[in-house]
Amino acid sequence: MTAVYYVVFILLGLSALLTVVRLVIGPGVLDRIVTLDVLVTLFAAGIAAEAARREDGTGLPVLLAVTLLAFVGSVTAAHLVEEREGMR
Amino acid sequence: MNTALDVASALLLIAGAVFCLLASVGVLRFPDAVGRQHAAAKAQTLGLLLILLGAALQNAPRYAVPLALVALFQLLTIPVTGQIVGRTAYRTSALAEESLTEDALARRLPPEERRPGQDD
Amino acid sequence: MNRSLLRRLPSLLWLWLLWILLWSTPSPLVVLGGLLVAVAVLAVSRFPEVSRQITVRPLRLLALCVRMTGNLVVSAAAVGWAALRHGPRVRAAIVELPLDADTDLLVTLATLVTNVSPGSLVLEIDRHRGVLYVHVLLVAASGEPEEARRKLLATERRLVAALGRRPDPSTSPTSRKDDA
Repeated sequence: MTAVYYVVFILLGLSALLTVVRLVIGPGVLDRIVTLDVLVTLFAAGIAAEAARREDGTGLPVLLAVTLLAFVGSVTAAHLVEEREGMR
Repeated sequence: MNTALDVASALLLIAGAVFCLLASVGVLRFPDAVGRQHAAAKAQTLGLLLILLGAALQNAPRYAVPLALVALFQLLTIPVTGQIVGRTAYRTSALAEESLTEDALARRLPPEERRPGQDD
Repeated sequence: MNRSLLRRLPSLLWLWLLWILLWSTPSPLVVLGGLLVAVAVLAVSRFPEVSRQITVRPLRLLALCVRMTGNLVVSAAAVGWAALRHGPRVRAAIVELPLDADTDLLVTLATLVTNVSPGSLVLEIDRHRGVLYVHVLLVAASGEPEEARRKLLATERRLVAALGRRPDPSTSPTSRKDDA
């Protein structure tokens, strides 16, 4: 089972790395919003996988807060983009 | 721990991680924000759901409730983010137009009514 | 007054259940407090009535859920494949999707269903004309915009078959407006 968790964390880490590359090169604000959303979801997946590894779910309710905050953040940011561009 | 449960959970976790990786490849390689949103909405969501399921199998049943709620919220919020990002992308001309073979929305929202692209 | 209270019962029960699930320990304080919070939320906000917007047909709904789960797996795999194989050269189209769904809740659900269908993502919702504009990744869907459109329409018809309102005899069938 330990090997499984190594594989899972390596895959997730690699995903985070690719996502961060896109976060840096952008190019627009919207791209970065989407990318950040994906990054937060990756964190959530990592927390869940870690809880599975330790067979201890104490940290799991935190996931609720993290995912909901990510959602509210993305929507707000997207609205800001729209507003800054001066659209109806 | 129960071996069958361990195997099932291992398969779910690895499959989930693979889908997360596929989503990240999509985020990196697709040409515009909407393409990236496709990767986030499909592959990333499925990846997270599989990992949540795998984690639920390894934990006490009472932790299944927050995990199920996370899954539910993820499913409900992804379309909202997708639609808001999508419409903002279209109206700020952030879509890679050369990749579009057909654009039915152009009839209702002609290019001159959209804002020029934003790059920073 | 009493009837409108009754119609809000589903929203109330759902909020109450959600509160208890969030605490995940159904102690008396949580159960009672949850009821108070749910009533307060409903009193302060103007939740739309849900029960009049849909009619649940359990068997068809179950079939739809199974189908959607399958769709999510297929579309995740398809998008992943498109990312690996085509990447920046992926072809896409924006198609128009006229809706049979006429209530707010059904339109929301139609958006959800469309989003888990292979290769499609709702870009814009034209609520008044009842049209969804859908961004379709062509490699992930089935090659041609027209074919993707036909599949999406079939999925949406299944949704309306599972949850669509029973035809109301008091309103004429031609009036599609239900904005509240």
